[in-house]
Amino acid sequence: MFFKFIHKRIRIVLLIIFFLFFLVILKVAYIQLFQYKKLNTLATDLWSRNLPVEANRGYIYDINNLIIADNITTTSLVIIPNQIKDKEKVAKDLSEILDVRYEEMYRHVSKKTSIERVHPEGRRLNYDIANRISELNYDGVYLLKESKRYYPYDTLLSHVIGYVGIDNQGLSGIELQYDKYLTGKYGMIKYFSDAKGNRLSMSEVYEKPQDGMNIQLTINLDIQKAVERELDNAVAKYNPDSALAIVMNPNNGEILAMSSRPNFSPSNYKNYTIEQINRNLPIWSTYEPGSTFKIITLAASLEENTIDFNDTFYDGGSIQVENARIRCWKAGGHGAETFLQVVENSCNPGFVVMGQKLGKEKLFNYINNFGFGKKTGIDLNGEENGILFNLDRVGPVELATTSFGQGVSVTPIQQITAVSAAINGGNLYKPYIVKRILEPETNNVIKEYDKTFVRKVISEDASKKVRYALESVVANGTGRNAYIEGHSVGGKTGTAQKVKDGRYMVGNYIVSFIGFTPASNPEVIVYVAIDYPKGVTQYGGTVSAPIAKEILTDCINILNIKEDNVKPKEYNWNEIKYLDVPNVVGMKKEDAIKLLKDFTINYSGTGDYVKEQSPEANKRIKYGGVVRLLLGN
Amino acid sequence: MKKNIDVILLFAVIIISIFGVMMIYSSSSIWAEYKFNDSLKYLKLQSIFLIIGTILMIIISKIPYMYYKDKANIILLVCFLLLILVIIPGIGKIRNGSRSWFGIGGFGIQPSEFMKLGLIIFVSKYLCNNEKNIKDIKKGVLPILFITLLVFGLVMLQPDFGTGVIIVMSIIGLLFIAGISMKFFYITGIFGAIGAVILILIAPYRFKRILSFINPWIDPLGSGFQAIQSLFAIGPGGFLGLGIGNSIQKHFYLPEPQTDFIFAIISEELGFLGILIVSTLFLIIIYRGIKISLLSNDTFAKYLSFGITFQLSFQALLNLMVVVSLIPITGVTLPFLSYGGSSLLITLCEMGILLNISRYNS
Repeated sequence: MFFKFIHKRIRIVLLIIFFLFFLVILKVAYIQLFQYKKLNTLATDLWSRNLPVEANRGYIYDINNLIIADNITTTSLVIIPNQIKDKEKVAKDLSEILDVRYEEMYRHVSKKTSIERVHPEGRRLNYDIANRISELNYDGVYLLKESKRYYPYDTLLSHVIGYVGIDNQGLSGIELQYDKYLTGKYGMIKYFSDAKGNRLSMSEVYEKPQDGMNIQLTINLDIQKAVERELDNAVAKYNPDSALAIVMNPNNGEILAMSSRPNFSPSNYKNYTIEQINRNLPIWSTYEPGSTFKIITLAASLEENTIDFNDTFYDGGSIQVENARIRCWKAGGHGAETFLQVVENSCNPGFVVMGQKLGKEKLFNYINNFGFGKKTGIDLNGEENGILFNLDRVGPVELATTSFGQGVSVTPIQQITAVSAAINGGNLYKPYIVKRILEPETNNVIKEYDKTFVRKVISEDASKKVRYALESVVANGTGRNAYIEGHSVGGKTGTAQKVKDGRYMVGNYIVSFIGFTPASNPEVIVYVAIDYPKGVTQYGGTVSAPIAKEILTDCINILNIKEDNVKPKEYNWNEIKYLDVPNVVGMKKEDAIKLLKDFTINYSGTGDYVKEQSPEANKRIKYGGVVRLLLGN
Repeated sequence: MKKNIDVILLFAVIIISIFGVMMIYSSSSIWAEYKFNDSLKYLKLQSIFLIIGTILMIIISKIPYMYYKDKANIILLVCFLLLILVIIPGIGKIRNGSRSWFGIGGFGIQPSEFMKLGLIIFVSKYLCNNEKNIKDIKKGVLPILFITLLVFGLVMLQPDFGTGVIIVMSIIGLLFIAGISMKFFYITGIFGAIGAVILILIAPYRFKRILSFINPWIDPLGSGFQAIQSLFAIGPGGFLGLGIGNSIQKHFYLPEPQTDFIFAIISEELGFLGILIVSTLFLIIIYRGIKISLLSNDTFAKYLSFGITFQLSFQALLNLMVVVSLIPITGVTLPFLSYGGSSLLITLCEMGILLNISRYNS
């Protein structure tokens, strides 16, 4: 009876014990099976130490996928203080190799942190130093691969590309603007460590870094190289204050090349002033454009039909506008001329008359529509606005000077964008330089930029007349130094006075040339401006036109532009003529000699008839050049 | 001594003891290497205790249990003397903030462990001799309660709260089966609650421990630290564990992993499956112990075997529920598995007593 009572209570106790055990097992199951993921993640975070692995920065390509901004791999020193046993010795050896003070190195190796870097002496190590450190083979001293920006062409396109800092972060140009695309995601070497920071002998986990996206520019590397070469030559030849050039596709606003002097080397950016680095002159500098601006007056006049090329005008060397006497650049004037000749001669009084015929409202309306006075919106940082007269304050004198490009201030990019619109059929496009954003490795297109149509400025018909007039300028007028045999070139020179402290400077000009080819169907347009060239007559025609010609010649080869019908050049007495070789094959020898009177003939073989000729018919060669004939019967 | 001993209990005890030494080695080697430059330090000590303990268990299983009934008063007296000695500075040694040890050479002896058994023997005898007075709280219960609270007080002077609770609870367990009216438990429950509140007021860190058990992440580097580190060991173990020897938490994340939190390391290395096996071994031992108590025809043997089994169960549960964050941290070791010489020794002796009682059962 008594035992029965005790047994009952013992059984109750046993049940409670079993129940509590069951609860414990349940809780373990809950922790291990249901909270597993969360706890495992947290615990792994606690156990693991991460050594960061730098990602490759995205490449910057030209339009043909040639690399302009590359990466090279370097090594950097990483210290894990907890794993270093003999701190004095490690600090001493490292301080000797890296040339850092011992006290400072000792501070690094004994710092209470999981991962320590020695900055900047321990970054971007050269092979020799890295080798010496790795030979020490100390615990807690590691060398990590790091990716470093490398510019294979050094100064080429430097203002557009920009530069990166020591952490591969973009600091200017495209590198800064597209930093979030170009920057990749760090990878990790994960290893487990004990609570004291010692590495555990368990397998490491390598998390691959995510490389940055690649950026493809509209730039054509070969054209860019030509531009850089020409600017270097110009600097060597004329020692100008500055020089710049832009090459563009006039039909869509794609920048094919852009450069300026002074430029900088992005890998040694510390040697340059911030102004030198940040001032991308083709979009930053503003100045009076001079005669290249006359294209705008011309285009407006042709669109409004206020002139006809055959109308005549008499230039007596100057024109009186209210109280001001405005002189032509040519002393004594050009005399009687048609308006086509006004353009060819870049005659100031003639353009003043064009402006007067338009009136200030119409002229300024066109100037605005061509995009002057405000940013073009090119996808680069640091663009300037330029300055126009306020319309209310434009009197007859301001109207007159504006007509030939004085009293307005424009940027080079505005100039080339506006002229592109004037010659491409009248369509203004926003200039742009970033073509595509591409996935790393696969280069799949993530984002693609296309031309941006802004507005229709003039009609196709007026545009055709502008092209015609500008081709005449090169064939017969002030732009003849840009004439290319076998290719039609249109263009306009400019010689602008520089303003300092509100006054025109004496003998100090920005000489420029804007040219395009083929004249009838432009595929490429070039703008060149040289600021204060020394030791030369400062005219756009003498300094800038030959440079533009060289660049255009390169563009013709690179872009494979076909020969076309060329407006025959009016040759000066000292210039070499080029002529088409007529077809003489199958003719009698005497007839052939008559036809080839402008050339030197070499014969081979004997006979009365021409069997073969070299060069072939319709090839252009110099006046007096050699034509070989194979004779037979 | 007509019958054979309980073989199932014997095997379960031997298996869990050997398993315990194995796990002590696995969990302590890193810590021992760091502290003593000897990764085998704890393995060696615990092995010696295991061998001595096993021999003692076998010997005790042959000593008739009635002997303890005769000597109960002397046993209790010796235990009292040791317990008083140990709290005297200069004699007792402080370890982990408690003056609870006698250092003899490299070994440590914890007198409170002896008292755990000594008091059970004494109370079993008392209950056995005062069967008729049990219903009378004044005559039957108060003397027991007085001695128990005296022991509790001495243990709290060390202080060792966990052991104190175990001692008090095993006596309450004995009183419960002896048939004391429930009214007593209600009253002690209320007093216990008041006592707990007072203890918390005396040492506010205890309250922090309670809070941190509900959400250890409130103070992850302070009072919640051990609970979180324990979860970080159990959780990643998953179903099959990281494999024996592969615990990461034993690398200084969980301090002294071979003691209170060894169950967490077992969970980490052997996973849920390992926990099921360990729990099964415990349940076998507890079940056999209770069975021995139920089958016993002698009142003293019944109380004694129940007291021993109940104390073992309660201590194991107290430890496990702390490790899995079911209750606040109390600082109690896990019988058979946690490192601790005296604890293993006494536990094995207790098993010897159970085995001896099992000989007399029909």
